[in-house]
Amino acid sequence: MSLNELAFKLNAHITAEDTRFDAVLAESGVLEVICSNNEEFPINIVKTDTQLLAITPLFNVNEVKPDKVNELNEELLLISPAIPLSAIGRQGDSYILFGAMALDTLFENIVHELEVQAENTVDVLQVIEPLLL
Amino acid sequence: MGILKNILTAVRGGASEVGESIVDANAVRILGQEIRDAQDAIAKAKQSLTGLKASEIKLKREINSLESDVASYESKAVQALEAGNEALAVEVAERIAEIESEAAEKGAEHSALSAQVNKINSMIRQREKVIQKNGRELEKIKTVEQLQKATSSMSTNFAATNASEHRVSKALERVKKKQVNWEDRMEAGEWMEGEASGDDLDRKLKDAGIGATASSGASSVLERLKKKSGQ
Repeated sequence: MSLNELAFKLNAHITAEDTRFDAVLAESGVLEVICSNNEEFPINIVKTDTQLLAITPLFNVNEVKPDKVNELNEELLLISPAIPLSAIGRQGDSYILFGAMALDTLFENIVHELEVQAENTVDVLQVIEPLLL
Repeated sequence: MGILKNILTAVRGGASEVGESIVDANAVRILGQEIRDAQDAIAKAKQSLTGLKASEIKLKREINSLESDVASYESKAVQALEAGNEALAVEVAERIAEIESEAAEKGAEHSALSAQVNKINSMIRQREKVIQKNGRELEKIKTVEQLQKATSSMSTNFAATNASEHRVSKALERVKKKQVNWEDRMEAGEWMEGEASGDDLDRKLKDAGIGATASSGASSVLERLKKKSGQ
């Protein structure tokens, strides 16, 4: 399924939990998806030869209290295994939440992954919020 | 050496902009070239393998035929001996010896060919491993490149909004507010549903002649007013 097809299907889909999607394929080739259960932190989807990557940018390192960066990194490492379907990483100066799926993942499972990732984002940010500026 | 170490060095070094090569372009070229070389080698090996395999099958068929000839002559030699014709039996035995020698030669040739076929097969498997391994290495590079692409739009947004402090807190607050609104709407929906089913119950009671009716209410008010006015 191309990212364009995925965008089309997502825009027409409502989950059992009443989550809706607003998906737009940007010129850069990144599929930007806003989930109605968390409209503040969009999920960016990209495709490689073997996988779909769903990435939610969380915050920049300069948004962390300067003396709390190590504590934040440790907390993120500690909570990461407990987060369903998503992992935490850093891309350049940006902390990200991401999930990887095989290219032949069923649409229903992609939807589930996105819905869970949108929820995970709120959960993670609530935990580390005290360490942010 | 795995490409992951190169990737780490590159991203540590700040290669985070889209389009900026995350690893030495030469390393990517080498991986790609190795894949192409392995693919060429496999294509050639498969060609020669076809020829070798055909020769191997042909030899095996010839050996089988010779072995069946030996079995046939052996039975004939036994028959000649049983008939007391030793001279004929000797002649047959000589023929068997010739055939066995020919079969042995072809057997050696067949073994050599089989070994060669096995060697080429194992070479193909090794090359396929190179292709898969290099493919996975290239996939790592592509993954990081795609990650950069997906994160770059956000970095721009961060840069634009960084002026405002507590960006994450404010965004979280908005998310929570929306969630509360949603929960309120859900609650309101449930209330409406309850009301609707309550109305339904009242209607059923009224239909059954149970409970107050508008006319009985009016008559009781009139009764009360009459009492008040002393009538």
